Amino acid sequence: MSGPPDIAALRARLSGGDGPRFWRSLDAVADSAEFRAYLGAEFPAAARLAAAPGRRGFLKLMAASFALGGLTACGREDGRAYEVPYVDQPERILPGAALSYASCALFDGFANGILVTTRNGRPLKIEGNPDHPWSRGGTDVIGQASVLGLYDPFRSQAVQHLGRPDSWAGFRAAMLAQVPAWRAGGGAGVAVLTGPMTSPTVAAGLARLRAAYPDLRWYASAGASRDGLYEGARRAYGRPLETVPDFAAARVVVSLDGDCLDLGPGQVGLSRRWSDARRAAYADGRLLALHAAAPSPTLTSAKADHAVPVPAARLEALARDFLGFAEGGAMPTADDPAGRWFRRAAQALVEARGAGIVTAGLTGSPELHALVHRLNGALGNTGATLRHTEPAAGQGAGTLAELAEAMGRGAVTALVVLGANPVYEAPGALDFAARMARVPLKVHAGLYYDETGAHADWHLPLAHPLESWGDARSLDGTVGLIQPTVAPLYNGRTLPEMLAFLEGGETEAEDGLALLKRQWRRDGEDAAAFDARFDDALRAGFLPGSAAPTQAVALTGTASPAAPAAPDPSGLDVVFRPDPTLWDGTHADLAWLQELPKPLTKVVWENTVAVSPSLAERMGIATGDVVRIEADGRHVEGPAWITPGQAAETVTLGLGYGRDVPDHLSRGLGYDANALRPTGTPWHLTGARLTKTGARRMPVTTQDLGTMQGADIVRVQPVGGAPVGDPQGAPAPASFYPPPASQDRWVAAQWGMAIDLDACTGCNACVTACQAENNIPVVGREEVARGRWMGWLRVDRYYEGPLDAPATHFQPVPCMHCESAPCELGCPVEATLHDSEGLNLQVYNRCVGTRTCQSYCPYKVRRFNYLDYTGDLPPVRQQQNNPEVTVRARGVMEKCTYCIQRITAARIASAKDAHAPIPDGAVETACQGACPTRAISFGNVADAGARVSAAKRDPRNYALLGHLNTRPRTTYLAGLAPGPDAAPGPAPSGREG
Amino acid sequence: MAQLFAPGADALYRLALMTGLACLVAVPVVAAGIVRSSYVTGVGIAPAQPVPFSHKHHAGELGIDCRYCHTGVERLATAGIPPTHTCMTCHSQIWTGSDMLKPVRESYDEKKPLRWVRLNRLPDYVYYNHSVHVTKGIGCSTCHGDVTSMQMTYRANAFEMQFCLDCHRAPEKYVREPDQVWNMTWTPPADQATRGPELVARNHIRGGARLTECGICHR
Repeated sequence: MSGPPDIAALRARLSGGDGPRFWRSLDAVADSAEFRAYLGAEFPAAARLAAAPGRRGFLKLMAASFALGGLTACGREDGRAYEVPYVDQPERILPGAALSYASCALFDGFANGILVTTRNGRPLKIEGNPDHPWSRGGTDVIGQASVLGLYDPFRSQAVQHLGRPDSWAGFRAAMLAQVPAWRAGGGAGVAVLTGPMTSPTVAAGLARLRAAYPDLRWYASAGASRDGLYEGARRAYGRPLETVPDFAAARVVVSLDGDCLDLGPGQVGLSRRWSDARRAAYADGRLLALHAAAPSPTLTSAKADHAVPVPAARLEALARDFLGFAEGGAMPTADDPAGRWFRRAAQALVEARGAGIVTAGLTGSPELHALVHRLNGALGNTGATLRHTEPAAGQGAGTLAELAEAMGRGAVTALVVLGANPVYEAPGALDFAARMARVPLKVHAGLYYDETGAHADWHLPLAHPLESWGDARSLDGTVGLIQPTVAPLYNGRTLPEMLAFLEGGETEAEDGLALLKRQWRRDGEDAAAFDARFDDALRAGFLPGSAAPTQAVALTGTASPAAPAAPDPSGLDVVFRPDPTLWDGTHADLAWLQELPKPLTKVVWENTVAVSPSLAERMGIATGDVVRIEADGRHVEGPAWITPGQAAETVTLGLGYGRDVPDHLSRGLGYDANALRPTGTPWHLTGARLTKTGARRMPVTTQDLGTMQGADIVRVQPVGGAPVGDPQGAPAPASFYPPPASQDRWVAAQWGMAIDLDACTGCNACVTACQAENNIPVVGREEVARGRWMGWLRVDRYYEGPLDAPATHFQPVPCMHCESAPCELGCPVEATLHDSEGLNLQVYNRCVGTRTCQSYCPYKVRRFNYLDYTGDLPPVRQQQNNPEVTVRARGVMEKCTYCIQRITAARIASAKDAHAPIPDGAVETACQGACPTRAISFGNVADAGARVSAAKRDPRNYALLGHLNTRPRTTYLAGLAPGPDAAPGPAPSGREG
Repeated sequence: MAQLFAPGADALYRLALMTGLACLVAVPVVAAGIVRSSYVTGVGIAPAQPVPFSHKHHAGELGIDCRYCHTGVERLATAGIPPTHTCMTCHSQIWTGSDMLKPVRESYDEKKPLRWVRLNRLPDYVYYNHSVHVTKGIGCSTCHGDVTSMQMTYRANAFEMQFCLDCHRAPEKYVREPDQVWNMTWTPPADQATRGPELVARNHIRGGARLTECGICHR
C-alpha cells in the first residue's frame, strides 16, 4: 500500500498459478498483511470509530445517546406549514403526479433521445426515449447528470460586465453601440467561436449571421474534437464523413483504439447495437468476437475478447499490416503479444470478408482513420457493415489554432464565444488567454462563469437544455427536438437566440420557439399542417425519418507510405484521453460525475497519470507517487496510477481536471493535462520525460470498498463450452420463506432481477440514474477516502490473467434482496426485514444505526449515513430531490430498494381500477431504464412469462456467493468468452479467487 | 457541635423519596399526555386561515361534492387544495362584494396564491395515496372526520402510526360501499361484520398481514 509494489513478484504470482484468477487491485494480488488488515477491519471508517473510546468513553456516549434519544423525534420547520395551491391550475400539471416530456440530452452537441420526468413542474429525472431511432431508450452518465446541471448552484446566474453584475439591457445597449461599425466593415475583425454543435437551427443562425456580416469569421473549439475522424475520411474519400458501424451484420469486430463502448457522442447508440448483435450471435451459438488494441485501457478494450496493449505510434503500423494481409500479403511473424493478437484478428477479418468491422476512435490520428477506411474497403466491409453519412457536426469552421494566430496578430477586434471555454480547452502551446487579452471586445456566453468568462468583458448566462427550445442531431443524423421542461431559472438565453440577436442588432429578435419553427417549416407549408407535424415531432422527441442518408463513397488515392520511425525512441509516449466521467471538463462542476468512480480505476474526484506495471517497475513508481511529465518545455504533475493493460512505455493523461474558477466545485481537483497537449496531434505526444517528484498523494478510490470474500464471484461462459451457471431445477436449499412460485401472482408479485454481465460495459449510467432517482447524497473526497461512498449500486471491475494484459470484467452489484438475508438476522430493532413480495425492506424511521446489518451483508451493499449529508443542500439543489423517496437523515442505514417507489406506483395503478396483477414491464428500476445495453431485467420471477424469468432460465444464470445459501433474488448471467477451440494462446490458469 | 440533622430530616428524606418515586410514574404519564394532547397534535384546533372558509356551509348546507374542489382524490396521491380559480367559479357570481372574500378576489386579480395553514400532515418518511384508499372503499370521514359539521376546519385525527394500523390490520371494519365513500356521517351499518369481509374480497383488499408490512407506507 505504500512504497513501490514488487511488480515482479505480482507478475510471478499471477502467471505462476497461485494468485487469484480474478482480481481487483494490485494490493489484492499481493495479499499483504496490511491489505488483509484493511479488509478485516470491514469498513475503514468503522475501524477508526471502534478504536477511539475506551470503556468509560463508551458508557458516557451510550448514556448521552439514551438521554438525548428523544430529541431526534423533534421536528424542524420544513416548509410544509402552509398549503399553497395555484391561482389557475395549469391544464396538465397534476399535483405530485409525474409528467414526461420528450427532449434530447446533449453530448458535445450530439443528441440522445430522452424523456424528462417532471413533478409539480420541476424536472427530476432523465429516462431514455425508447422510440428514439438512435439511442433506443438508453442513456449515458452525462445525460443522467444533466438534471443536476439544471439545478447546479455553480451555474452562471447573471449577466456580468468586467466581473460585475449587469443586465441583458446593458449588454444590448453595449452591442448596439458596436453594430454600425460592424455593419460598415462587413464584420471584418469579428470572430465567433462556438463549441461542438450539430443543431440545424444554430447552423442556420450562423449562416444568416455570416450573410449579414460577410467578413465575419467562424471558429469552433472542442476539448475532444472529432476533427481527426473527419480528416481521416477526407484523406480516404475526399470529404468529411461520419462512419456508423452495423454490428448486426458483422461476424467480427476489430478495434484499433476504437471507442464504440466508451463515453462519447456515440456511446449510447453504438453499445446498444453492439450488445444486441452479440446477444443475437450467442443465440446462434456464436461469439461476435471483439479484438481490441489500445495504448491505454478503455471500456472498449476492457470488453474485448482479445485485447492487447500497443503503443499509439504502432497503431498505424498495425493498420498497414492488416491492409497488406487483406490485399494478399504475407502474415507478419512477430511473436510478441501484439503479433499473436494481430494474427488472430487478421485471420478472423479475412475469413469474414464483407462481414467484419474495423474501427478506430475519436483519439485516433487522421492517418489511422484513413488506413482503417482503406482496410474496410479492401475487406469489402464498407457498405456492408459500415455506413457513411454526412457529418452531423457543423463543418467549415476555423480551428482554435487559427483563431489564436489571428488574435496574436491583432486581426481580431471582437471575439464572441458561444458555449465554449477555449481558455481552458486550448492546448498550452497556444497561450490562448494571453492572446485573447489583445482583443478589444470579448463576449462570452456559457452555462458557467468559467475561465473564458473570467477573461471576457461580457459574460452572458446561457439557458440549460432542459429549459430551452432547440434541436440537435444524433450521430446517425436523426434530428431531435429539445423542449423546455421548466421556465429558465436565471433568465438565460439559447444559442439561436444569441445568434439572432447578433444578426438582427437593433431589431427585436425572435424567441427560441419561433426560431425553431422557422427552421423546420417547409417552404409554402400550410401553417396548420406544420403545427400538427411539429407537435407530433415534439411529442415523439425527434423528426421521424430524419436520419442522414447513406453516402456512396469511393476511395481516392492510395495509402500514404509509412512515416519514419519516431524521432526520439528514448522518450515516453503520452496519450491524452477525455475523462470517462467528466469528458473534457465541461461537466466538471457536477458533483455526481465527480464522485462517480472512473470505470477502470475506480478513482473519484481527480484524474491520475496512468503508468504501466513495467514502467512502474523500472522507475520504482508506486500508485500515488506524484510524477512530473515534461515535454517541449512544459510539464504537468499528477499522482501515478499503475494500470494493468497499459502499453509499456505509454503514459496516459486525463482531460477535464485542473480547473481554475474561483468558488467552483471543480477548482483545485486533479491536474490540467491541456497544458501539455500539442497543437498538431491533440491526442498524442512523443518524447516526453517522466520523473518522480518525491511527493505522494494517494488518489481516493472505491476499488477495494465492498471487496467480497468467496468463490465464483465472476463467471465466464466460453461459447460452446459447458454451462457455468447454477444447475437449473436443482432442489432449492431449505428456507424459512415460502417458495415464490407457490404464491398467487395476484396476492404478491415476487420481484427479482437478472444482470447480463456480457452486456454490461461498465459505463456507469445505472449508477448515476440510481443516484438521481433515489436522492443519494454526494459525500466528498475525504468521506469517500474513509470508505463512506454512498452509491446503492456499484460496478465492480475485475481483472483476470496476467498483469500486463489482463482480461477485464464488470459486475454491477446492487442489493441482492436475498430470500434468507443475513442482514435481517442482525438488526436489533427489525429495521430491515422482508415483505411478502420478496423485497428486503429498509425502514429508516426504525433504524437506530447499529450498522450490524452492514457487517452481516456478504455483498457489502449497505451504506450508512455517518453525517448529515443532505441537510445543507442549497435550496435550488433541493428541487432535484425525488419527492417519492425519503431523504435520509444522519445515523440511518440505506441500500438499494429495487426502486420500491416505482413498484408501489405500479401496484396502486393496477390495483385501483382493474384489480389486475401488475403487468410485466410495468415496473422498470432506475438502473434498468438507464442501461444503454439492456443488461438489467427486472420483474416478477413467479411469472414464468416475465422477461426476467426468461433471462434467469439462461444456462449462464448464477447466484453471487450462492454457496452462502442467501438465495439472492438478483442473479447474474455469466459474461461470454471465446470457446476453447478459439484460443491458440496459452489458456488462462490459476485457482478461483 | 450542633446536630447535623434537624428533627424533621427524616420526614424531608421520606418526602424526597416519595416525590422521586411519584415523578418516576408521573413524568412519563404527563409526557405521554402532552404528546397526545391537542396542543401537540393539533386535533380539534381550527387555526386562523386567510379566508374563513366553512366546510359546514359549502359541503354540509350547500351539499357541494368533495370532489368539486379536491379533484385529485380519485386519481392522485394527494387530494389537492383547490386553485383560486375554483373559488371564483361561483364567487365571481355570488357574494362578489363580500369583505370576507376579499383575499380570494385579490389572489385572483394579482395572481398571488392563497396560503392556507396546513392541517393534515404526515412525517416525511410516510407515503399516503388518497386514490387507492377511496377507490377501495375507505371514506373521507374515516380520517378527516365529519367536515360537514366543521364551521372552521380542524384536524380530526392525530395520524399517529397506531391510527393507520388500526385500519390496515382490520380493513373490514372500515370499508364502505362505493356510494358511501363521500358520506361524511357514515357509521358502520349493523351488518358490517358480514358486509365488511365481502367488500374486502370484492375490492381485492389484501389482508392485515400484507397491509401492515413496512414497505406499504415507508420507502
